[in-house]
Amino acid sequence: MNISTSWLREWISPVVTDEVLAEQLTMAGLEVDGIRTVAPMFSKVVVGHVVSCEKHPDADKLNLCQVDVGEAELVQIICGAKNVRTGLKVIAALVGAKLPGDFKIKKAKLRGVESFGMICSESELGMSDSSDGIAELNSEAPIGQDIRKYLDLDDNIIELDITPNRGDCFSVLGVAREVSANYGMAFVMPEIDITATGSSSIATSVSNTVACPKYLTRSIKGIDNSIQTPKWMADKLTRSGQAVHSPVVDITNYVLMELGQPMHAFDLAKIKGSIEVRNAVAGETVELLNDSTVTLKENTLVIADGDSVLAIAGVMGGQSSSTQATTTDILLESAFFEPVSIAGKARDYGLHTESSLRFERGVDFKITELALDRAAQLIVEICGGEVSEVTSIIDESALPELSPITITRAKIQKILGFELDSNWIEEKFINLDFEISDKTADSWTIIPPSFRFDIRIPADLIEELARLYGYDKLPVQKLSLDANINVIKEAQTDKYDVMQALVSRGYQEVITYSFISEKYQDLIDPSAKKITLTNPISADMSTMRSSLWPGLLQTVESNQRRGHTDARFFEIGLCFGGVKADEQSNKLAGIITGNRFEAQWSTEPQALDFFDAKADLESLLSLTSESFSFEAAEHPALQKGQSANILLNGQSVGWIGALSPIVQKELSLPKCYLYEIDLEVVLSAKMAKYQPFSSYQQAQRDIALVVDQSTPVAQLTDAIKGLNQEHFVGVGLFDVYQGEHIETDKKSIALNLAYQSLEATLADDEVNAKVDEVLALLKDKFNATLR
Amino acid sequence: MINTILEKAKLAIIDAQDLKALDEIRVTFLGKKGELTALLKGLGKLSKEERPKMGEAINQAKVDVQALLTDRKNHLETIELEKRLLEEQVDVSLPGRNAEMGGLHPVTITLKRIQALFAKNGFEVATGPEIEDDFHNFTALNIPEHHPARAMHDTFYFDGSTVLRTHTSPVQIRTLEKQEPPVRIIAPGRVYRCDSDITHTPMFHQVEGLIVDKNANFAQLKGLLIDFLRAYFEKDDLQVRFRPSYFPFTEPSAEADIECVICGGEGCRVCKKTGWLEVLGCGVVHPNVLNSVNVDSEEFTGLAFGMGVERLAMLRYGVNDLRLFFENDIRFLKQFK
Repeated sequence: MNISTSWLREWISPVVTDEVLAEQLTMAGLEVDGIRTVAPMFSKVVVGHVVSCEKHPDADKLNLCQVDVGEAELVQIICGAKNVRTGLKVIAALVGAKLPGDFKIKKAKLRGVESFGMICSESELGMSDSSDGIAELNSEAPIGQDIRKYLDLDDNIIELDITPNRGDCFSVLGVAREVSANYGMAFVMPEIDITATGSSSIATSVSNTVACPKYLTRSIKGIDNSIQTPKWMADKLTRSGQAVHSPVVDITNYVLMELGQPMHAFDLAKIKGSIEVRNAVAGETVELLNDSTVTLKENTLVIADGDSVLAIAGVMGGQSSSTQATTTDILLESAFFEPVSIAGKARDYGLHTESSLRFERGVDFKITELALDRAAQLIVEICGGEVSEVTSIIDESALPELSPITITRAKIQKILGFELDSNWIEEKFINLDFEISDKTADSWTIIPPSFRFDIRIPADLIEELARLYGYDKLPVQKLSLDANINVIKEAQTDKYDVMQALVSRGYQEVITYSFISEKYQDLIDPSAKKITLTNPISADMSTMRSSLWPGLLQTVESNQRRGHTDARFFEIGLCFGGVKADEQSNKLAGIITGNRFEAQWSTEPQALDFFDAKADLESLLSLTSESFSFEAAEHPALQKGQSANILLNGQSVGWIGALSPIVQKELSLPKCYLYEIDLEVVLSAKMAKYQPFSSYQQAQRDIALVVDQSTPVAQLTDAIKGLNQEHFVGVGLFDVYQGEHIETDKKSIALNLAYQSLEATLADDEVNAKVDEVLALLKDKFNATLR
Repeated sequence: MINTILEKAKLAIIDAQDLKALDEIRVTFLGKKGELTALLKGLGKLSKEERPKMGEAINQAKVDVQALLTDRKNHLETIELEKRLLEEQVDVSLPGRNAEMGGLHPVTITLKRIQALFAKNGFEVATGPEIEDDFHNFTALNIPEHHPARAMHDTFYFDGSTVLRTHTSPVQIRTLEKQEPPVRIIAPGRVYRCDSDITHTPMFHQVEGLIVDKNANFAQLKGLLIDFLRAYFEKDDLQVRFRPSYFPFTEPSAEADIECVICGGEGCRVCKKTGWLEVLGCGVVHPNVLNSVNVDSEEFTGLAFGMGVERLAMLRYGVNDLRLFFENDIRFLKQFK
């Protein structure tokens, strides 16, 4: 909300600068987003009266003006504006004036005639961005008065960012109350006085008093709505960010800004029958003041006449009953709509109005009458007319309950960590208009005022005291430490250590959006359950990822476009198998592309392949206590024949492979190798357990075998391990060969077997027997022959 | 005779150009069939009187020759080593072989740092789902349906009651659902708002903090956060101010500002000429929140705080465009190695 400090200072004016006042509001919880002046600094500019205006003898477009600026003699000023004329009240900058932009007015000669000043436009004074000709002042403007004073330009606009709990501050009255509580000084209300006669000619009824506990109307007849809104009011509205329309609308807006009570004026002549406040009938329509026609829902409270809906209660009026310049009789409405009933309604229809903003947060339900009087008073003052008495429908039982709240001294101390002085506390409660209904030596019972919808529990009172004391002045204490040493599980790797391991292998971490395009989802993981947002930012960000690969692929793609062809990226993040908490799990994924190493003096560029990706993944898996197997399997995103399912105890925990050439082409990507694995699995570490080692010599045997090309080597080594031979240390693979001397559908595998005993050096024939056992097994299971 | 041999040996040794030649010389003079050995063998032919004197002279000659050989050997070895070293010399200014390191994302670096600072004060890390239900994201946090604060959140929806979490605060609820107080956690993570422009990305990171304790109070919250901010920015005298604000789930609520770390409080574009930067929100947990998870709000007091990670990263590293964090441009990311 924007508020003009000069308007505020009509109500309450602490002896501080506007900047200090703004700072105080911020520190009291009404955050000031900015403060700006109405007009930049300028001096020696006054109201002038053009006494005569003649053509310049030597220049067609210039006028020679004699201007009365309140001094003994008239001042001669040459002016080029088209709209300058005799009798006009103008803004005159005198010799010696300093205008914005460091522009000084000096005595000048134009085509041989002297000029002693300048007649100004609004833009020349920095009051508007552009203007058409010189400014034309009201004919009653006092000649010679400083223009800053006349136009009230020493005014600042404070932009307040009001939090949802402080609906009471959306008015000059509200801010004045806040200033009053902070400075401990009273504010002055404008005098409100109205003479009313007779009763309103329209009958009103309220059928939903829960939503509308209070509905007041009065008629004003015989007004002139065709005149201009007075300048003082137009200025205040403009400076508060409100557009100027016609007097009646402007006056209702003025009362809204002044007292915080949204009001509405209907054209009395256009109301058919009586007024009813009721819920809409499903399907009813209303054409609103913003020219849109909406179809109403049953949960929406409306103001209707015998014929149709006139307005959405607390949101916006309708076109059909709106006031025009020709309107002479009006019905003025001032109501209290209950916040919860109004909440969200404007949004349901895509609306957001000054009225709904206030009603949703809560409008003072005791100001309804005063606001109606104020509006009537201003209408009579400005437009004339006869005011009727008020027709009021009030359901006291439906009005918000102002229950007493008791706060103890002990509670205040417990929450704030120090003791506040009792007298000070009481003084502040009074400053805040809190009624102290009861008190003891150790507690106070207060009743909150009708405008504070945010004061309901003791904690609310503590906040009020704390903010008036000043958050900054509240004491600072050390956190008392519960001296527990928290368990750090050794069999659990820290996520950051895993990340660091990848960084050490040359990986750059990325963070990509958790929502991706449906196209990517279909391409990478078409079988995943599709979880889509109902209101995405764009179609590219509509589907929750089930895999980290789309983000990594996009990262490769965008960096590739910028010329970075070698890359290793990884990401850790949640992937979504459903919307339930246990269907969301963290995964770790990596992608590599381009050459194994950056071009360098020591090595020839070598393209990365499957086994580079696998090595990186295996380095992470080696941190765990588990043994994983890689089983050839097909994945829609991966290249057939270069993709594997990562298994742990027979369960799939991830995938690795080359990007499928189809996907690669579809996304215009280079050759990539990818892997993805459940993070949980990678984080399960092992705690070391000491094993004695042998001091006797290890026996080693190398064997070369020929097997079918399709036989996975891991199956051979697994089978050997599965024998559980005594003294078996391990099996190593040191060569895989296909080509000359080997049949085309076969391959040669060279293995190294190691045996060792803790008690003695093993005898040759003992070792040979074990090797024979291995050979027999492999022959039997895989038809492996010794080469 | 001995002298002649000695002279001859000396000349030969000095003349020897490599170790092999030198060894041949050794054999020629000192070997089994060597000249000096031959002289020794001939001692028997000498008289009893001459024998000791002659023997001594021959032995002396052998020692001398050996010394010359050793000298020469050392000399030749030194030369040979020098030669090898010259051959093996490398350009030490060449870069090491393929030792490129990767790097962490600046958001991760910041999260890690925040986490480490709070860990020193006994805070454990807690996490929660990112697709949240209405209860955990709003209702339990004292944001009932149609509360104006919901409109401020620009929520992404899946259906009426399932959302992308708009803050990390639901982790408060999830933690208290399964853990009895005292509680001291921080919850780092991704959050989502349906907003995308120069200063907003639809996804960003927050760190939530929660303390629930019998003796917790607002003064401690202030103390903790001032300490944290000074430690995070490594500035002992960093000015921090607290001012009242509003969050439905805390009462009293506060926002903390720090002196602008860009201009030092003088006023600049980043701090909108105020000299202050808003960096976090905090407060005493609203009794309704504790009640929603069956924690006695009379016995226990909760303190909560939340901060935007990208904002802290931007201020610390001087990043001026939020969107850079999610473009994953390698030219940006590698600056944080």
